[in-house]
Amino acid sequence: MCNACGNPAVPGHWTEAGAATPGDRLRARFHRAGLLDKVLRPYGLTAHDGGVVPGIQLSTLSGNQSIVPDLSAVWAEAERLLGRPIDPLDPVFLNDD
Amino acid sequence: MTTDFVDGRMRLTVLGGYLGSGKTTWLRHQLHVGRFGPVHVIVNEAAETGVDDVLLASASGLTLLAGGCSCCTGRQDLIDALRTLCDQRSRVASDGQRLHRIVLETSGLADPAAIVAAIQGDPVLVNHIVIEQTLVVVDALHSLAQLQTEPLGRRQIGAADRLILSKCDAVDLAVLTQLRAILRTLNPDALQSAAELGAEQPLPDLPDNAQAPPLPPLSEDDTRGPIFPTRLKIDANIDWSAFALWLSALLHARGNDLVRVKGVLPTPAGRLLLQTVRKVVQSPEILPAQDNQSEDGTIVFIGRGFRPEDLQKSLRRFVG
Repeated sequence: MCNACGNPAVPGHWTEAGAATPGDRLRARFHRAGLLDKVLRPYGLTAHDGGVVPGIQLSTLSGNQSIVPDLSAVWAEAERLLGRPIDPLDPVFLNDD
Repeated sequence: MTTDFVDGRMRLTVLGGYLGSGKTTWLRHQLHVGRFGPVHVIVNEAAETGVDDVLLASASGLTLLAGGCSCCTGRQDLIDALRTLCDQRSRVASDGQRLHRIVLETSGLADPAAIVAAIQGDPVLVNHIVIEQTLVVVDALHSLAQLQTEPLGRRQIGAADRLILSKCDAVDLAVLTQLRAILRTLNPDALQSAAELGAEQPLPDLPDNAQAPPLPPLSEDDTRGPIFPTRLKIDANIDWSAFALWLSALLHARGNDLVRVKGVLPTPAGRLLLQTVRKVVQSPEILPAQDNQSEDGTIVFIGRGFRPEDLQKSLRRFVG
């Protein structure tokens, strides 16, 4: 590892880098799955992370299931299922009501 | 280098390159291996939040010019900073430990040629500073796309004495050769070299018959609007995993318009430095704690195609 820049870095997806200890990692996984599920439900998808097997389980309301490794893969899979990307700058997230 | 140059003037290296091309990574490694010797580093950031100064702590002196690109709105700040350095140096006896070298890391939105012109056109600076070379870092992964659409990217290439190709490992040889042929067309005189995370990397000779595909002509006024920096303060009630969730979705949907995202987030693991270039996220780094952490939790977004105020709203509504 280079002393100047610390590369190569620890493996893992960048969205998981904020938790260093096993406990923090598990807490972060549950927390993330909860948040993700809330975002996906209006789109007819659900997310679940039991903390046992690696990956995030995505399901459609009709029961189709897939397991994806990380958040980047979640958004790509959601786009595939919905036919368009979930865009946080979509007016649905911006309107004041 | 510890002795004065013969003409007694300081040597300035201008380090340019597009947003996220790897300027700071390269410079950080060069400082670490002592390429420049004792050197004063000036870092210019277009946004008002400085991140790079933390990474470049091993320079002998550091000036951060934040909140204005030094080729246009922040030009006077740059001239003033350089004049201050000249002034300080003039107060040290010529046999004392004087500053000999300055490296200016421009913002990713800067045209190095405009900066060079501004410095050379200044009646004071021209007597104290010689511009030694202009280095431009070229992102091998994203440059081909940038050069198709960004007039600024082409101007930066044109301004270089030496082009440093970064992220070469992320593309295959055919693509790299094509990019290098284009670079040779845009700036035939510039030397081409390669660096991986700042460390020099061998680059094969470019065959003379390598064909550069023609680039489309560009008009100066871009219909997509200018690329601008926005600062986003993360609410205290939004934690890092929620932020990462939102950002990963945003990059997936808008990555091509979000040229650069960077900032430091407080997390259980420590201060997490996040940096992205379009859809690619650099592997995050935990920074050491430091005295001034007031900028933590402020993330800079540089891009186009969105309204600055929408980012805050979107983050709050998406995961709040």
